[in-house]
Amino acid sequence: MIGFYTVLLFILTGAFLVSFTVALSRFLAPTKDYPEKHIPYECGELPQGEAWIQFNNRFYIVALIFLIFDVEVIFMYPWAVVFNDMGLLAFIEMFIFIFILLVGLAYVWVKGDLDWIKPKPRLEHLAKAKGE
Amino acid sequence: MEANQILFIAIALLTVLSAAVVAFSNKIIHSAFALLATFTGFAMLYVYLSADYLAVTQIIIYVGGILILIIFGVLMTHKIYSTTKKTAHNSILVSLLGGVLAAGLILFIISLNPWAANIAKDFSPTTAVIGKEILTNYLLPFEIISVLLLGALIGAIFIARQEDKEK
Amino acid sequence: MSNLNSIQYFIPELFLTAAILALIIVDLFLKRKQKSIIAYLSAAASLVAGFLAYQQFSLPATSIFQGMLVLDSFAIFFKILAAFSTVIVVFISLDKFRETAEYFILLLIVTLGMFIMPAVNDILMIIIAMEIVGLISYVLAGIHKTDLKSTEAALKYMIYGAVSTGIMAFGFSLIYGLTGHTNLYDIQMTLASGHVNSVAMFIAFMMVLAGLGYKIAMVPFHFWVPDVYEGAPTPVTAFLSVGPKAAGFALFIRFLVTIVAHPSSGAADTFVQNVDIQAPFLIAVLAVLTMTLGNFSALNQKNIKRMLGYSAIAHVGYMVMALVVFNKDAFGAIMFYMIVYLFMNFGAFWILESLSSKLGGEDIEHYKGLGYRDSFTAVSMAVFMFSLTGLPPLAGFIGKVYLFAAVIKQGWLILALLGVLNSVVSLFYYVSVVKAMFLKQDDELAPIQTSLYHKIMVLILVVPTLVLGVYWSPVIEFTTNSIGLFFGR
Repeated sequence: MIGFYTVLLFILTGAFLVSFTVALSRFLAPTKDYPEKHIPYECGELPQGEAWIQFNNRFYIVALIFLIFDVEVIFMYPWAVVFNDMGLLAFIEMFIFIFILLVGLAYVWVKGDLDWIKPKPRLEHLAKAKGE
Repeated sequence: MEANQILFIAIALLTVLSAAVVAFSNKIIHSAFALLATFTGFAMLYVYLSADYLAVTQIIIYVGGILILIIFGVLMTHKIYSTTKKTAHNSILVSLLGGVLAAGLILFIISLNPWAANIAKDFSPTTAVIGKEILTNYLLPFEIISVLLLGALIGAIFIARQEDKEK
Repeated sequence: MSNLNSIQYFIPELFLTAAILALIIVDLFLKRKQKSIIAYLSAAASLVAGFLAYQQFSLPATSIFQGMLVLDSFAIFFKILAAFSTVIVVFISLDKFRETAEYFILLLIVTLGMFIMPAVNDILMIIIAMEIVGLISYVLAGIHKTDLKSTEAALKYMIYGAVSTGIMAFGFSLIYGLTGHTNLYDIQMTLASGHVNSVAMFIAFMMVLAGLGYKIAMVPFHFWVPDVYEGAPTPVTAFLSVGPKAAGFALFIRFLVTIVAHPSSGAADTFVQNVDIQAPFLIAVLAVLTMTLGNFSALNQKNIKRMLGYSAIAHVGYMVMALVVFNKDAFGAIMFYMIVYLFMNFGAFWILESLSSKLGGEDIEHYKGLGYRDSFTAVSMAVFMFSLTGLPPLAGFIGKVYLFAAVIKQGWLILALLGVLNSVVSLFYYVSVVKAMFLKQDDELAPIQTSLYHKIMVLILVVPTLVLGVYWSPVIEFTTNSIGLFFGR
């Protein structure tokens, strides 16, 4: 519990430092407001349409895989704490646990769920253009 | 422990209010981000229950994993601005009644005070105890969970995968 | 028993786990055309696991893995039932999911869950087993990703499932709070000492009932059934209506026996409650509600799958009814009924699965005149329908006789009467299918050619439905021998 007071203190210090510096720059910096400042890109390009685009499905799949192994790591943490006392038995028990999940990793790997989209040359379009 | 109580009330308020934002916000992305505060609040409440390992788990899995997944899920929905929540306020009376009843039920059970298992008040670290337990007494659940995770992985990936790439 | 010593009592489950891992790896090396190997292998694995479970009958009943699981004949019975239902489901789904290896792998994982579920002896194991069966079932229901109905079914199944499992977990946390134990035997002993608040225990029991009732589709936790049964692919529907439900019943009985009932109940053959929570009365009310609602909702259904969904609710009602008396007669009757239900329900679903593409749909409308187009299948379907109704001399009749007899023997006459009345109501909708098949002749439709595979499958399922109606003593002997429940840590 005492350790968590340190965590709380850390969070509070962090929050204070960030808000302090942001507030400081707000007070110190001169503020001159003109309309161009309110567009997303100040370098001159006017944005078209909405900023909301549909994300690629792969982000989600990778996040799913991450979540599963996240849970695995959570189980490894208490194991690591007692590993020194328990010895070989603990190692074997954790090995079985990880092995079963490694099969899952092999599955997503071979099925290509970890591959990011590679840009494919659009040959059919080229061929069409040439033909016409 | 006056300061402790104030801190507890602050955390409880953070949790409940952000949960209210999750439930009542009309923009789904606001709900998703408000979950961040709710999950963090939960983690802090676990600390008050002397469950330090659970608190860390809550942060790593819920804040670090599930919340990301939810936000990705929101980002993947298209026409997010033009879609209106269809069942937003249809039955506010019923849900209010249900919520009050559930809260009343829980308060009622607590007021009976029949508890046998008391929460440890010494706030000793639990991680090593949990580690020992999952490797001895709770070994079977621990190993079976890996099969559960494997099944969840394969099932979730199978459902989420886009089929057209196989062609 | 210590973990290392327990392994020798855990061989069926270990075999299943190894088979799951092996199949995942084998699948990675297979080409698209060879994927059906996975299906055959999964059937074989499930069959072997069932056989290994059968081998365990000779072992003494004990608790394994530090009291996490028990090994008794009751659990072994449901393990065999689970393995058997998986084998049949693999053959039902062979045609549809030939190229989807994941389907069969997931099916095996559910089977592993169904192996653990009847043998639980700890709250933690209950939740894990329920999660394995539940989570994977959601995926199975939505395995047709491009089909809107299937996806909707999966989503509804998952949301209702998450809520009810959450309520159940809350109930278990209350039980833990009340007793200070997670081991079911320890909980029973603590409750039996009589220092536990009965109001709090009643609320906890109701909450746990939400999760268990959801798994077996009992009113008022049945909302998901019609939509999921209609939307999910037919083989999955068939599977959900038998496999997880049987495991859910096993869990329900285990929960009642170890937590709700006083330790002396088993010997006295009557229901002595640990803490007075009016459990028999509650179960009786729920049973009547379940069968009545199921039967009356089924009356107006046009879609046979949906109708069978409601009828499945009604059948759960009959089985829950027997739990009221809570003795060996009742458990034996439920186990026997599960066997019978497996054959007749799989039979009906198999005919739906294999004929719906030929007939153009699953509505009663589409089955018009089937008796003149394919008399063998139509007669078999009629047998399944009459057996589901409970007409003699079919297996369903014998199953119901045992259920009602167990209830009447303990003096619950009104309950039995309501059950019989419900059976009469169910006659109407089952007969409407038969009527459509035989009475509405349609000369324009040509005879249907069915494959040999179809005929063999129908035969495998229809013969037991007929035979068990006239000669059932070996099976009832088997179930009576299987009611050995182990109590202990």
